[in-house]
Amino acid sequence: MNRLIIAIFLFHSAAALSQNVKGKVADQTNSAIAGATVSWAGKPQTAVMTDENGMFSIARIPAEERLTFSFIGFKPDTLYASGDRFYVLIMKENTTDLQEVVVKSAGTALDKMSPIHTQIISSKELLKAACCNLSESFETNASISVGNTDAVTGSRQIQLLGMSGSYVQTTTENIPAIRGLGQTFGMNYIPGTWIQSIDIGKGVGSVVTGAENMVGQVNVELKKPDLPEKLLLNMYFNTFGRAEANLNIARKLKNQKWSYALLSHGSLLKSEIDQNDDGFRDLPKYQQINLLNRWKYSGERLMAQVGGRFLSEDRAGGQTGFKSNTSTPGLYGFQNNTKRYELFSKTALLFPEAPYRGLGLILNGTLHDSESWFGKTPYFGKQNTLYGNLIYQDIFGNTNHTYKTGLSFLNDVFDEQYGSIFLDRNEVVPGLFFEYNYKNTDKTSILLGLRNDFHNLYGNFFLPRVHIMQKLAANHTLRLSAGRGYRVPNPFAEGYGMLVSSRSVRILEDLRPEVSWTFGGSYVIDFLPNLSLSGEFYHTRFENQMISDMEHDGYLYFYNLEGKSRTNSALLELTYGPVNGWEFKAGYRYVNNKQTVGKPMGEKVLMDKMFLPQDRLLLNIGYSFPYDKWKLDGTLHVNGRQRIPVSHPIGDDMSYAEMTSQYAPTYINLNGQISRNYPKLEVYVGGENLTGFKMKNPVISASQPFGPEFDAGRIWGPVTGATVYTGFRYKIK
Amino acid sequence: MKKVIGVLTLVLALTLGASAQKHKTDEVSFASSVKCGMCKKTVESNLGKEKGVQAVNVDLKDHTINVVYNPKKVSKDELKDKISKIGYDADEVVADQKAHDALPGCCQKTAKAHKD
Repeated sequence: MNRLIIAIFLFHSAAALSQNVKGKVADQTNSAIAGATVSWAGKPQTAVMTDENGMFSIARIPAEERLTFSFIGFKPDTLYASGDRFYVLIMKENTTDLQEVVVKSAGTALDKMSPIHTQIISSKELLKAACCNLSESFETNASISVGNTDAVTGSRQIQLLGMSGSYVQTTTENIPAIRGLGQTFGMNYIPGTWIQSIDIGKGVGSVVTGAENMVGQVNVELKKPDLPEKLLLNMYFNTFGRAEANLNIARKLKNQKWSYALLSHGSLLKSEIDQNDDGFRDLPKYQQINLLNRWKYSGERLMAQVGGRFLSEDRAGGQTGFKSNTSTPGLYGFQNNTKRYELFSKTALLFPEAPYRGLGLILNGTLHDSESWFGKTPYFGKQNTLYGNLIYQDIFGNTNHTYKTGLSFLNDVFDEQYGSIFLDRNEVVPGLFFEYNYKNTDKTSILLGLRNDFHNLYGNFFLPRVHIMQKLAANHTLRLSAGRGYRVPNPFAEGYGMLVSSRSVRILEDLRPEVSWTFGGSYVIDFLPNLSLSGEFYHTRFENQMISDMEHDGYLYFYNLEGKSRTNSALLELTYGPVNGWEFKAGYRYVNNKQTVGKPMGEKVLMDKMFLPQDRLLLNIGYSFPYDKWKLDGTLHVNGRQRIPVSHPIGDDMSYAEMTSQYAPTYINLNGQISRNYPKLEVYVGGENLTGFKMKNPVISASQPFGPEFDAGRIWGPVTGATVYTGFRYKIK
Repeated sequence: MKKVIGVLTLVLALTLGASAQKHKTDEVSFASSVKCGMCKKTVESNLGKEKGVQAVNVDLKDHTINVVYNPKKVSKDELKDKISKIGYDADEVVADQKAHDALPGCCQKTAKAHKD
């Protein structure tokens, strides 16, 4: 950082040597103060910082002779600098204020410097929802909602900006993580206690991480090997009989350069839960083992990480009493056995003499193997992925102009079989990207990105993107973004929940990549340091999209979009706190997602996307006693009405234009948690879905699962009622 | 909706109930080896979570730890013991060596006097 400051300083001094005012900032013992801010009075945009030796050089501006100085822990000062001499300013320590400083941070914060609207969910916020994995980490977040895809499998999908999670790139530490076939249960594959923080970027993302961040990016930072937390043990139980254990170990080796982390997770649910007595398990029985080991090397010129990950999960849902298709052949069962093996490495070459320069290489290889049974219908899915990303970072002239450029490589080998439908694909996608960032202090940041992917199957994809951040006044920030993205859809992995039905699956044509444009922006007003209001609006339209059409009972169609598909989403969010231990958050979200359907009948009808509440309200209140001894937290969600399938007579000959619409009612969901902190131990008790609201008949025709009308994929609300959980976290630093 | 109100009332009652719990409290001040802002943070956040402790203030000028506590739940000697286990002296009770060694460099007794 210091070197960066020098770099800025050097540029400034070289550019306008003669018209500069130079000087030194020191404290009362005459030690230099590095990093102090020096600017002309009333002109914060002129600010420069002092270097390691406390030296500064600032260009003269007309009609202003007062220089202001500020630095944390010191009293701000002003100096008349009219002459042509070397000024020395001795700053006085602000001792009284420092004594009172208590570090308080909010659970969610906006990344103030990022040109992309990025929300950071800290570990503090993640503790508010103690259970259990990434899919449950967004409970207190207004932008992302999470829902079950069906009443049987337990698969959960996120939704951001009114769009399905498949258009959101989910990465762990900037390595693409939940994609392709891994999407079905991917949200369940990242345990909550492994997560350090989550960044949610809204709107189209950076070209550096790829093409698939079409409407947003969720980047999960895992617990680091070199952080002070040496051991974390977490156990969790809930009233359904779900039990989890997590053990994280991190250690620095003696030479201080190497460190390692072992993250482990085991969980299971073995009880038969059928609260609505429809003969179907409300939650599948399951067991999961999940291990991640990584090693990190930090040297002056080289940073490197290597690691591996293993996951094994078995699920068995369906009718109560179901064991397997051979031992209980009369019962409808759902089974999924997934194994994942992953190896990854990250290497960065640093240039200590030019800290703005860097060369990084990310490599990842993943084998995903899953076997599912929907009743008597098998679905086998294999995906082998090789991913590489080489990034070079440097400046044009000075650090106001930085750029990243590089090469990416992606190879996906898909091998899928559903019933008698086979889908095989071998994608080889080399890519080139370039991203330029212009920064003017913290007022303006402009990001221009270009990416070109050379897809072996679908041709060339040119993806331009732009992000702008501009401070309009001291506390007003405007962000705008626009850009193109694409991905290749996977009908079975994404429509997984709809497969738990007697629907006959029809893929009408070769599915082409989905290509989108997303435009939008946000306006944030920080009234006070801890009171802010944020308004966002985004618009997405598709050049092509895979339409999953379940308008006709008994049929599930997949086809390419022909016509319009557009989504508008708006969010208004107010956050207040922490003030005297209180934190308050309120969010209102509106979405409108319309797609053109009707290809099976040769029609084009614009219809609202199903299972997407138009309005959603979130209220979150937290209170913590001094020293966080006790913490209370409550979250209320109001989910507005959403379009759901209408029961038509079975048949594929009904016109789309004549179809009527049916809507699910508004419902409320309440979660709450109380936790008690001890110096090394945290104990928590909480409840989910405390209003106990659940859908009355989540499984259609549950009594005849092999009959033509059976359908468990029409889920718009909770399947299970209230649940209470308890657990603890034990930490050694 | 009734259930929502019920739960909200419960949460509110818990909050108020907890803050209304003002028993008789005692105040005590221990001379200690605290040195800087980092030490202040460590002692306050750790001791503050202990049973019976209601407020902790580390005074870096006087090198004291001031504690407001409920004598029914915790004794003076237990407090000294707890401070020692965090890694700091409390009057005549010397810091637990293992805990002290685990403190950051600036909080070690060998560190030069400094403010932050």
